[in-house]
Amino acid sequence: MSDIFTRYGDGSPTRMSKEDIRFDLEEGTQDAADRGKIPALTEAELDRLFEICTMPEKAVTVERGDEVIVSFDAGTLKLPVRAGVPMDRSAAILTHERAFCSDTMELGHVDYSYKQLKAIIHEECQAMEHIQLNTIIPVFYGAMPNLGLYTKPDGPIENWSELLPLAKIDEAKAAQEEAMEHAVKDIVYVASRMYESGADGINFDTVGASGDADVLATLKAAEILKEKYPDIAIEFGMAGEFVLGMHGELYYDGTRLAGLYPHQQVKMAEKAGAAIFGAVINTNSSMSFAWNIARAVTFVKACTEAASIPVHVNVGMGVGAIPVTNTPPVDAVSRADKALVEIGKADGL
Amino acid sequence: MSLEDIIAEARETILQCDQARAVAVAERAVAQGFDPVQVLSEGFSYGIRQMGDLFGRGEVFLPQLILSSEVMKSAVAILDAAIQGGTPQAKAKMVIATVEGDVHDIGKGIVVSLLKTQGIEVYDLGRDVPTVKIIEKALEVEADIIGTSALLTTTLMGQKKLEDELRKNGLRDRFKTMVGGAPATQRWADRIGADAYAEDAAEAVTKALALLGK
Ligand code: B1M
Repeated sequence: MSDIFTRYGDGSPTRMSKEDIRFDLEEGTQDAADRGKIPALTEAELDRLFEICTMPEKAVTVERGDEVIVSFDAGTLKLPVRAGVPMDRSAAILTHERAFCSDTMELGHVDYSYKQLKAIIHEECQAMEHIQLNTIIPVFYGAMPNLGLYTKPDGPIENWSELLPLAKIDEAKAAQEEAMEHAVKDIVYVASRMYESGADGINFDTVGASGDADVLATLKAAEILKEKYPDIAIEFGMAGEFVLGMHGELYYDGTRLAGLYPHQQVKMAEKAGAAIFGAVINTNSSMSFAWNIARAVTFVKACTEAASIPVHVNVGMGVGAIPVTNTPPVDAVSRADKALVEIGKADGL
Repeated sequence: MSLEDIIAEARETILQCDQARAVAVAERAVAQGFDPVQVLSEGFSYGIRQMGDLFGRGEVFLPQLILSSEVMKSAVAILDAAIQGGTPQAKAKMVIATVEGDVHDIGKGIVVSLLKTQGIEVYDLGRDVPTVKIIEKALEVEADIIGTSALLTTTLMGQKKLEDELRKNGLRDRFKTMVGGAPATQRWADRIGADAYAEDAAEAVTKALALLGK
């Protein structure tokens, strides 16, 4: 039978003809090229991607020698919280180190935002010290900048999501600028304490979840941390494929942040002192895996070509061509990983 | 000025967020006796959908999108009056919410802003809204459409729950329903029996107008 088993971006299984898969690969790469104003994949790259998409094995892997490093976000939220396995955070990290052979791991609190961590920082420091005494792999500390938490009712600042629909644009911009100041302070405080407690690195997860101000706050915090601790390893994991312009007029080093795509975002992260960049490409749940992976690989290839630091592509539910499901299917995950590494030249995942 | 020129200028005023020119174009269209429905749908509405598209590509930003939707509202007011011959028409009503258990509301907010530009009266119930509250509000305001947004695979079921509850309570035929949010698809809408699915804010506008028979 010439039909190939594959999936849509929402994980639903389907069968497609080879011609349709090839067509979707071409459309996907073109979509990324148009949006990001970057080169589409070459014919040879599309041929290789087609091979990966149509391999008969259920799970595939990279060729020997092409293995890459894995780093994590929401690290200790995965086993004990999302999977509901009754274990504490240090057991989760040891399981990753000793059973899953993870290269690195991340300690994170269930209240995963820098703002919330101030009040419990002493407990987080203790957890990090304890974990560092028991592990060999590098352990990061991570949380989200999450600028939205500084707005009412969670924080002191007017909510720009409410101001904008009322066309109170200047007020919405001022609110975002004010939130940035709070966020920079909190990120620097928490990250400093965790670094001094032995964290091998600091992860900023979902940078840009609240738009361009969220990105600028994180860049500024990274700059301060890098100056304070020249050897600190900072990972920047993005929220989406382009920086959402909730403010629209925020600049870093002369570049407007709103609308930047991964190959441009990585340069900002580098300037601020990041050691690893976590590129994100959104999965479209209505489109096929072939369309999504061609798109993701196109963006990642442009990003790794532009980058001077390692790029670890986000490959979780709903990003990096992985279907938006709770437990992503191995056929799609392993194909996405292989393609992103072999063709996109990702340094890590 | 020809109808084509008016339509082209209407689009441009939205893309350039030019309030004064938008009002002037709408007034000129009415004064010259052009069909206000055509000027609205092919001119201004087309422009706002283009803005929605550009926003979806990261080429324009939220403040500009909001500004253009304000410009659109002024033009709609003039054309609407002409459509009704001066008597205001009962506005179509839509209740919209992010489903229970889900706090993602950035995308829904954008959908709301664009829907409002079409003269639809939108009741935004916010995020993490229980199904029963959505139905109560829809009944209270006699909504034409109920729209739900879900960003998590775990909360997507909230959209099905709405369909089930409407059916169970014999209310399914009273409302049109629309679903959206990253994990939702046309396949999902078909499976749960929703009347429409929209991928982004621009499509939400087109689909809402289609549901309203406009
Ligand atoms: C009615 O008709 C319609 C019609 C069209 C409609 C519509 C309704 N609604 C939307 N549309 C459509 O039009 C809009 C405009 O074009 C579009 O809206 P979108 O919302 O798609 O697009 C927006 C313009 C931009 N996109 C977004 O705003 C979503 C971006 C990402 C980064 C995201 C964000 C921002 C957040 N998050 Co969340 N978050 C992610 C997202 C990852 C990603 N890259 O997509 C996603 C959705 N989150 C996820 C998760 C897991 C979570 N999040 C959580 C929290 C958050 C924040 C609070 C930090 C923040 C939300 C802030 C807010 N006020 O909304 C948690 C859940 C909280 C909860 N109970 O809801 C938490 C569980 C994480 C945690 N452990 O705490 C993932 C879901 C995976 C899954 N399997 O479902 C996720 C894909 C990221 C990931 N890969 O892990 C269309 O979908």
